[in-house]
Amino acid sequence: MKQKFISSVQIILQLALTTAGLTGQSYPGKPRIIRCRSLEKETFSCWWKPGSDGGLPTNYTLFYSKDSEEKIYECPDYQASGPNSCYFDKNHTNPWTTYIITVMATNEIGSNSSDPQYVDVTSIVQPDAPVNLSLETKTSASITYLWAKWSPPPLAAVSSNSHVYRYELRVKPEEKEEWETISVGEQTHYKVTGLQAGVKYVVQVRCMLDLGEWSEWSSERNIQIPNGESPPEKPTIIKCRSPEKETFTCWWKPGSDKGHPINHTLLYSKEGEEKVYECPDYKTAGPNSCYFDKKHTSFWTIYNITVRATNEMGSNVSDPHYVDVTYIVQPDPPVNITLELKKSVNRKPYLVLTWSPPPLADVRSGWLTLEYELRLKPEEGEEWETIFVGQQTQCKMFSLNPGKRYIVQIHCKPDHHGSWSEWSPEMYIQIPTDFRVKDMVVWIIVGILSSLICLIMSWTMILKGYRMMAFILPPVPGPKIKGIDKHLLETGKSEELLSALGCHGFPPTSDCEELLIEYLEVEDSEDQQLMPSHDTPSKNTKMIPKETDSDSGRGSCDSPSLLSEKCRESHALPSTLQTQDIRAVQENKGAKRSWETQCIASEQKTLLFNNESTKSSTWPAVQLPPNNQLPMFAYHSNVEAHKIILNTTNVNISPVLEGNEEKYQSRYPITETVHDNMEKQREMENSKMEQTTVQVKQNRQNDKSPFLNPKLMDYVEVHKVRQDEEPTVLLKHKDNNGKTEKYTVPGTSKEYTKVSTVVDHNILVLMPDSHIQHTPVSQEPAMETSQNLQQGQAEKNMSYCLTAPSDCKRETSGSDYMDPSSFMPSFK
Amino acid sequence: MSAKGASQKGLLLVALLVSNMLLTKEGVTSLPICPNGSVNCQVSLEELFDRAVKLSHYIHFLSSEMFNEFDERYAQGRGFIAKAVNGCHTSSLTTPEDKEQAQQIHHEDLLNLVLGVLRSWNDPLIHLASEVQRIKEAPETILWKAVEIEEQNKRLLEGMEKIVGRVHSGETENEIYSPWEGLPSLQLADEDSRLFAFYNLLHCLRRDSHKIDNYLKLLKCRLIHDNNC
Repeated sequence: MKQKFISSVQIILQLALTTAGLTGQSYPGKPRIIRCRSLEKETFSCWWKPGSDGGLPTNYTLFYSKDSEEKIYECPDYQASGPNSCYFDKNHTNPWTTYIITVMATNEIGSNSSDPQYVDVTSIVQPDAPVNLSLETKTSASITYLWAKWSPPPLAAVSSNSHVYRYELRVKPEEKEEWETISVGEQTHYKVTGLQAGVKYVVQVRCMLDLGEWSEWSSERNIQIPNGESPPEKPTIIKCRSPEKETFTCWWKPGSDKGHPINHTLLYSKEGEEKVYECPDYKTAGPNSCYFDKKHTSFWTIYNITVRATNEMGSNVSDPHYVDVTYIVQPDPPVNITLELKKSVNRKPYLVLTWSPPPLADVRSGWLTLEYELRLKPEEGEEWETIFVGQQTQCKMFSLNPGKRYIVQIHCKPDHHGSWSEWSPEMYIQIPTDFRVKDMVVWIIVGILSSLICLIMSWTMILKGYRMMAFILPPVPGPKIKGIDKHLLETGKSEELLSALGCHGFPPTSDCEELLIEYLEVEDSEDQQLMPSHDTPSKNTKMIPKETDSDSGRGSCDSPSLLSEKCRESHALPSTLQTQDIRAVQENKGAKRSWETQCIASEQKTLLFNNESTKSSTWPAVQLPPNNQLPMFAYHSNVEAHKIILNTTNVNISPVLEGNEEKYQSRYPITETVHDNMEKQREMENSKMEQTTVQVKQNRQNDKSPFLNPKLMDYVEVHKVRQDEEPTVLLKHKDNNGKTEKYTVPGTSKEYTKVSTVVDHNILVLMPDSHIQHTPVSQEPAMETSQNLQQGQAEKNMSYCLTAPSDCKRETSGSDYMDPSSFMPSFK
Repeated sequence: MSAKGASQKGLLLVALLVSNMLLTKEGVTSLPICPNGSVNCQVSLEELFDRAVKLSHYIHFLSSEMFNEFDERYAQGRGFIAKAVNGCHTSSLTTPEDKEQAQQIHHEDLLNLVLGVLRSWNDPLIHLASEVQRIKEAPETILWKAVEIEEQNKRLLEGMEKIVGRVHSGETENEIYSPWEGLPSLQLADEDSRLFAFYNLLHCLRRDSHKIDNYLKLLKCRLIHDNNC
């Protein structure tokens, strides 16, 4: 501008000169100071415009003066700022001074001065424009911005680097007119945001120093703001899936797109073909997907699929994806799921699940075969129970917990390849509370009640065991004597006893007999003691020594029960046993003496042997006396399998018995009247023994067991008493087998020792015998103690009676039962 | 060797089990239907198809397993799949490639195609069973499967011939099959190439066995159940 101006002035001047030359030469025209300017407040320059030169070469001289001085100076430097200018360097520049400047033009003819110009350096500062403006776009956090950088204006003065400029930036789209000006501050770079992608922008920058003027705008810079990234990111093929093994779809994940959409193209080639096809259908399966319909779907063929993402800046291709549709089948979940509760035969509920294959899947043609899996859990449960059910479309579930709510889901899968479908929507089923639970409660209650009852029962049993037992198993009443005083028995005299019994005088009268129970029991209790009593009188009698003195009548009356009482006392045996075991056979109806004779074993004349093998081993000598007609005691031990057969009078078999005792510690001879295998044994034995015998059987299997085997207990009852012709007593066996009967003699003082007849097969008729038992026929002569017995039946009775308690005492397990047979001293 | 022997024993056991299963099936469930006056008591076509489908299912199961094992063990990172698109030796047999094609083709033709594919595999399976033993550190599971597939393929071929004989009305077609010339590739010195040859063969085996299985299931539903399986 300036130069133009100058040159134009020069042209004018030249024109003037030529005119002057034509018209004549003149003094120069008046120059004009155009402008004074300081770039950085330390130096400044002034420019002027020459006036007409008057046709002659003209010199221009600039003079200045300061407001504080009168002196006039000339321009220090006409060169630095170009022609028609004056440069005031640092030394000539004072910011606090006002300069008065004039320019004088001089030629040969004359001179001319300009108007003075007053210059305050501070006010004329205007820096040059910044330089080196550079632009670039950057992307940070998916935001694209413009990054502008520039440099401060260059200065000639070396020291000017310390100046601080303020900058301004202006930006506009290329095609627009309006600038957007941005105040930058003192930094020499700036981040421009909010620009539209894909638009070209023009950017300029200017600066200012303190109070001066803004510099010129710098030269323009252009920049294109890109569309998002360039080129677009590589897309990724996520997956391909065929829902029904007829079509398939591939999805991809595009690269990030900002602002401008990226164009995606799916390309594929099939195995064995060179040609590359483009996706037939971008729309059906939604955005970023490609749907291959039936026509475009081949199986057992590998597809090579790629996705190309393109924008204006370029394109990018995904990694190839190889797909054989055969292996990417993933069906939809099964549908039409129904849950049904049914009850089986045993009324247990079970769950029936039915479902249908997904509607898309063509299962019927066999092209696709589906397999199913279901899972279920209680609603509050954590873990699923998964059940693979194969190809069937129904399933029964047993053993579900009643009262719980179950969640059921089903999914399916092609038979070989592919993947499981999604789980079907959750189905709920409430399993009803099972009645079995109620049943359980009922049963529990019943159980508790019954156990309670049992407890009570057992408690009462313990407390009142005897009574209960008696109640349940009513014993055959023994010949008890009412009102008897045991102490009397033990210590008192016989008279007292008798008086206590109400039997006054001896022999006991019928009054006394009335007290007696009408039963005659033959007992299988431990009468063993009776046996040794003969052998060891001292032992046996020590218990009741006094009673041995008493006569036989009393013995017949009371001894068995007394003994039993004693035994019970001394040994505290179970009372039940006592009652049961009171089997002393007693002759009632006043037949006091008939004891011995009454106690007849059954019609069998022989002793009973349980054990055949050893039956005769122990007692051969005793057993088989010559006459074989002795009433005998049979000792029988199951364990030892031997029997001892004793004649009632053969009390002197004691050694053997003793031995037996020692051997077995406890022998419980029982008068045995009945035996199951009696007949058999009878045959084995010498069955010819005619006399009434008493078997004393040791039925003890266990030596220490105080209890008798109830099965072995036999007794007889008086079946019938015939008083009409000659008094007889029919004894009937009361035991189950009832094969034998004893015949005791009723009546008053008669002894019925004679077998009158055998009625039927179980009834023995006894007749009173004139010659009493005093001379037992079967007495063993060898036996020493037999004589004692023969002395009198009363004595014998007593002695027998006495033996019992002693035995009871001696053996803890001994029972107190008297065997009436033991009292029978003799028969016939 | 002992391991190999054991595997063969195991293989034998499996074969016995399978055959036993089939035999049991035959004995129990499929009493031959003997129409009055008929001379030949034949196993019903349905039963034949049942067995064939079971067998093809089993063969494909084995081949899939074998391929997967091989792929995991030898093919990782080698990019075999990209090279495997060259096709299989049975690709010369034009088989239906989708459901429509499979449904349109006549069942006799489809049966013949199945036969052709099965025959085409006779040879390579024999070689596969022997050559696979030379693979370095080939696991037992791959070895016995190769043998098993070879045997079962023969068995299936027999069954299919029986079915085809039953179904075909007229004369049977010529024996079509696609020859295999891949033996040298299985014996290549270069391990990578050799492994790829195996890979490709197993890949093709898996594909073709699946084809056969699929076709047989289709045929069964079509011929036996009238497209209503």
